[in-house]
Amino acid sequence: MTEQRSEKKLNTLRSSLESLQLWVRHNRGWLLAAAFVLLCIIPFFTTRSYVLGVLCRIFLYSILAGALNTINGYSGQFCLGIAGFFAIGAYSEAILSTAAKMNFWIILPIAGLITAVISLLVALPTLKMQGIYLAIVTLGFSEIVRLLALNWTPLTGGPMGIKGIPVPTFFGIAIRTSKHFYYLYLVMAIIFIFTTSRVIKSRIGRAWMSIREDELASKSLGVFTSRYKALNFMYGAFWAGIAGAIYAPYVRFIDSTYFTLDEGWNILSMMIIGGQGTLIGPIVGSVIVNYLTELLRPIGQWRMVAFALLIIIMMWSRPQGLAGTSSSIIAAKKDRRLRRRFATKQEACNDTAV
Amino acid sequence: MEYFLNQLINGICQGAIYALMAIGYSVVVGVVGMVTFTHGEVIMIGAFAAYYIFFWSGHHILIGLVASFLASWILGYFVYKVCYERFFNAPRHVSLLLTIGFSMLIKNLAQIVFGPNQKPMLDIIQPKFFHLGYVQISQLQIVIMATVVIMATLLSLVFNNTKFGIMLKAVSQDKTASYLVGIDVKRIAMLGNSLGCGLGGIAGLLLAIYYQTIQATMGGALGMKAFASSVLGGLTDVRFSALGGLCIGIIENLGITVTTASYRDIFAFSFLILVLIFRPQGFASKIGAKV
Repeated sequence: MTEQRSEKKLNTLRSSLESLQLWVRHNRGWLLAAAFVLLCIIPFFTTRSYVLGVLCRIFLYSILAGALNTINGYSGQFCLGIAGFFAIGAYSEAILSTAAKMNFWIILPIAGLITAVISLLVALPTLKMQGIYLAIVTLGFSEIVRLLALNWTPLTGGPMGIKGIPVPTFFGIAIRTSKHFYYLYLVMAIIFIFTTSRVIKSRIGRAWMSIREDELASKSLGVFTSRYKALNFMYGAFWAGIAGAIYAPYVRFIDSTYFTLDEGWNILSMMIIGGQGTLIGPIVGSVIVNYLTELLRPIGQWRMVAFALLIIIMMWSRPQGLAGTSSSIIAAKKDRRLRRRFATKQEACNDTAV
Repeated sequence: MEYFLNQLINGICQGAIYALMAIGYSVVVGVVGMVTFTHGEVIMIGAFAAYYIFFWSGHHILIGLVASFLASWILGYFVYKVCYERFFNAPRHVSLLLTIGFSMLIKNLAQIVFGPNQKPMLDIIQPKFFHLGYVQISQLQIVIMATVVIMATLLSLVFNNTKFGIMLKAVSQDKTASYLVGIDVKRIAMLGNSLGCGLGGIAGLLLAIYYQTIQATMGGALGMKAFASSVLGGLTDVRFSALGGLCIGIIENLGITVTTASYRDIFAFSFLILVLIFRPQGFASKIGAKV
């Protein structure tokens, strides 16, 4: 009796959730506009730069995790070296603005392009191989970038880092306070998400997703897989470079300790927790991880342990992430097919044994 | 020239340790069929087990070998339970990300338990030098190389002459076929994984007494070097992986004769990238593993 009642309750809950989903889908434009307005007026209600700083980090990591997501989630390549691209973007901005005294708005695309070109050099040797080689090459690359930044003293300042990075100006207003940076990061995050959503819906995005689903099939349907994979890698690295370039003037001092492998794992865990292969996933992951970072600050060292446990729990219970749906269906299908094949083999074995 | 020859000897000694790491790594990859990122942490745990056992119960290297082997064996068991057992049929990235999460977990727990700072390792082998013409070689280096050779010989004996070893080879060649001939694939995968991890633990002990320091964060770069060495050997071929480890050790030590020692890791990783450009299958004749 109680079971029936609880089932009924569950069903009503489910149907109401579905209707909510439908409503959200129907009024998407309004909701997005409302969210935008809300995000725009937040700085007027809080004067604490701490809150704005956390929000800035959320936007920054949304871009970074989203850039990683375009590589790992949409085309199924396996990049682990996002911290290296982040570092290249940040160092290009810092060096060009302190040594060459260039304007921030000119440096911004240049930093992205430098990162994209370097990422192409990294990706080229591994385009024809399976994913895991790319993973280890990017991981090694990230470490190489960090070690070069630490040891190439004439260019990067070595262990002293680069200090006194000038703040950008926007039509005469110096972007200096965290309020200004909040708007800068908000605008960059919106541009990133808008661009990515357009790219994903275009021919290029469909090609990426077809590579993720089945590389051989997409190749036989006439997709230049290696070219699209290279393009995908460059696109992700470009935005990681942009994120680095807007990060450098915010902290105003960079050295190699900002770009360790832990930073890469941090970004990776955001993408996994939020969900790969969805636009909203990295944002969700960035909000959760950054919020947890602030929440767990009192327990210090145990923070990374908590993240590691979170990744493991996530992979055990919901490998597609909090916001992910599509990849999970594919995974389940593949799993079922494999299990069926294995079962038939087992039966065949039993038959022959008899 | 003198300096060069001595660096070559150092390189061979370091390469021997890398070879042991790579042997363990390729056993794991072959048996489980998936790449792991926990090997660096396994090596680190082996080093710390040796450190504490030397601290408590005298300076005998054999006790240390057994302790680090067992500690890493147990860690390998947990790695298998958490990362592989339920995910043989799942998409590959699941267990890959699980190994990444698990290695983060172990590394940060180790930093909390053992402390984040470098610890000096005790002197196990008396520092004594032998001179052969220009070349000088220390007793420590001889012990390390001898240990690696003995371990490799033992492993090849196990692989070729025991039932367990033959089952290991069968599982790493074809899981379905070995299932069909009546091998308990999951149990063998578990034992093989633990065996590979145990060899990694011994490599950790050797590294600790070679460098004289241990640190909770030492695993990251070492795991990558183990991976690089076994890529050179075509990922699953044990003998070629050992050769790959030797190569990486020699190249590192010859590389730092040209520049400073802080560029050591850059040489190892650049060499890996160069190998992947020109000969992605490594020394093996074909790309063996489907990972």
